[in-house]
Amino acid sequence: MIVAKPARAITGYWTDRPLAFKGLVVVALPLAILFGALISLYLASNAETRAEDDVRRAFAIQRDTYQVHALLAEAAAGARGYVLTGQARFLDPYRKAENELPVTMARLDAEIRDPEVRERFERIRRATVQKRDGLKNIVALASTPLVQGRKADALEAALVSNKIVLDGMRSEIDSIQKRERVLLDQRQAKVDEVRDSFLIVTAISAVVGLLGSLAAVYLFSTGIVRRVRTLEHNAELLARGDALTEIPEDADEIGTLGQRMHRASALLRAREQALRESEERFRLVIEGVQDYGIFALSPDGIVSSWNLGAERIKGWIAEEILGEHFSRFYPDETRHFLPAEMLSRARNGGTAEDEGWRVRKDGTRFWANVVITAMYDDSGLLRGFAKVTRDMTERRRSIEALRLAREDAVAANLAKSVFLSRTSHELRTPMSAILGFGQLLELDEDQLSPRHREALHQIMKAGRHLLSLINDLLDISSIEAGGADLSINTFDVGELLQEVHGLASPIVSAAGLQFVLELPPKATRVSADQRRVTQVILNLVANAAKYNRTGKMVELSCRTEKNLVRVSVADDGEGIDAADVPRLFTPFDRLGQQNRNKVEGTGLGLALSKRLVESMDGQIGFEQPQNGACFWFTIKLADTGTLSTLPSDA
Amino acid sequence: MPVNLIDNQEILTKRILAIDDEEANMLLLANVLEREGYTDIHCITDPEKALDAYIQLSPDLILLDLMMPKIDGFQLLDAFSKHDKPDEFRPVLVLTADTTLQTRRRALALGAKDFVSKPFDVIEVALRISNLLETGILYERLKQA
Repeated sequence: MIVAKPARAITGYWTDRPLAFKGLVVVALPLAILFGALISLYLASNAETRAEDDVRRAFAIQRDTYQVHALLAEAAAGARGYVLTGQARFLDPYRKAENELPVTMARLDAEIRDPEVRERFERIRRATVQKRDGLKNIVALASTPLVQGRKADALEAALVSNKIVLDGMRSEIDSIQKRERVLLDQRQAKVDEVRDSFLIVTAISAVVGLLGSLAAVYLFSTGIVRRVRTLEHNAELLARGDALTEIPEDADEIGTLGQRMHRASALLRAREQALRESEERFRLVIEGVQDYGIFALSPDGIVSSWNLGAERIKGWIAEEILGEHFSRFYPDETRHFLPAEMLSRARNGGTAEDEGWRVRKDGTRFWANVVITAMYDDSGLLRGFAKVTRDMTERRRSIEALRLAREDAVAANLAKSVFLSRTSHELRTPMSAILGFGQLLELDEDQLSPRHREALHQIMKAGRHLLSLINDLLDISSIEAGGADLSINTFDVGELLQEVHGLASPIVSAAGLQFVLELPPKATRVSADQRRVTQVILNLVANAAKYNRTGKMVELSCRTEKNLVRVSVADDGEGIDAADVPRLFTPFDRLGQQNRNKVEGTGLGLALSKRLVESMDGQIGFEQPQNGACFWFTIKLADTGTLSTLPSDA
Repeated sequence: MPVNLIDNQEILTKRILAIDDEEANMLLLANVLEREGYTDIHCITDPEKALDAYIQLSPDLILLDLMMPKIDGFQLLDAFSKHDKPDEFRPVLVLTADTTLQTRRRALALGAKDFVSKPFDVIEVALRISNLLETGILYERLKQA
């Protein structure tokens, strides 16, 4: 509601006053008007009383003047009677007049206000005195028994003058009467006027009183009631969450309350908006989730919401399933007890989880993981359940497959171990007899003929070759089976190199080569299987000694690189043809060396070395220096601070 | 040198019980022992008779194969140690073609005193045998002293 500025300026003053002030005004206004009306009534009634008083006095003056006239006239008549008859009873009126006249005159004197009447009264008063004196004179004359003649003349003169006085007085009285009648008329008119004005004042008071009350009611209505109604309406709107009716920014309590309500409304609406948006987002997220069936159940298990995931997993669309009991999702064998049990568990424990078969719309089964959570409101009343279902069929299948695969692998591994162990035994046992008896014969070699000696020599050579083949093959197999019998220890690599140098020196010397050892400058502890590292170095040194037929030396050295130690075996022989390098670590590939006499070998040494090094997380490689060949491999440096003091197993 | 304190003849007359189901191996062992000069050699190729022989003969040294049918070397090691009195020193030298680490550990854990892989070096085996017998003799002497 937009209030025009000027109107606002006028009404604003009123509406901005505090309620106490307004209440005072609303109560005082009719009271003041009533008070004014009472005063005017009082004044009017006073005026009327005065006017009536005047009328009464006029009547009294008229009456008293008549009485004066009557008393004097009767006294005069009596005096005349006495004069004529001499009888004393004619003097009664005269005496009565003598008694009453002063009283009446005094009364008149008190009553008269009008100056004109007063003037005439004074003349009457003088005439009255003359008259009474005259009458007294007449009565005195009449009572004296004097000479008739003189007496008669005196009497006659007295009577005549008396009559003149009386006549004069009568005319005065008539004047007074006339004047009083005029005054009476005037006063009567004034009384009527006062009465009329009294009526008008009363009517005006009534009207003004009524208008005052109406004004008070109007002010009360505009100032308080109507605005309180607006507030009430706004309160209702607030409760409904609708927009509030605009109200002017009045400064009184109602205005302030109204403004506060507006602010509260704005706050509430903002909050509600935020809540709605968050709810909307949440709903969109829930509805959009595809991998999880998320839906709500009423406290007795009726489906009350449905999302895309549920639709995808179970096949029903929302319209088909809303209002249905969730036991529909269970297969026949569990439907009669499991749904109720799940709800009861969720009610008692907050949540219930289960994994088992469920049924889709088309009757097919899927393996589900189900979590049911009880939802309570603030007062602790159960509002329903949230149910999250996952289709675990694929996962169950893959877990099952994985389990079987693992079992197979374990079984296969075990079988392989048993096989290796048995093979080792089966191959070595005959070798044991061959080589053992051969060695016994060798010990008594001098008893053999040269031919037999040569045959024995060939048997032993082939036997030892076969044994090393068997050993290497079994080693490779056991490493590939993942069952390399590693026992990792920490040890000083320099000490190991020295030890291997000692062990391999005869082989190198036998090849007519110099065996150079280059030790690390300081103690270098590594973490590896000492026996296996020894085996690898021996392999490499033996290879170098075997195949270096043009050079002079074999060099064994090592150096530290970051957290690794790199062990190198180099020679200054003819090296390796670049085309052959990729095949160096292939089992049984001897790069054509088998065709050259005198070089023994199984073709497994490098392949075995590679597997051994890799089983200890190391690397093995070959590089071609300017002349000769260089094989290297890495072993891990021991973590400083975790030096093992255990003796090596080998 | 303590070795010199022991008469070689005393070692060679010690009773040795060899148990191996392979005839060829048994023959090889017997040959090695005879060549060294041992005189009290007993050979068993049927492992089921091994425990009886062990109890009856009360040998000073046992040469034992591990992989045998019906009763294997591990079972025999277990049976021997159960039969022995605590203060008896009756060393067992295991000779096996199974060279895996687990087997070696298991045999030594069950009471074998030494372990030799087949095929073996005949000289090495002869040395280990005489070493164990010497140890046994020294043990006896200590016990009686």
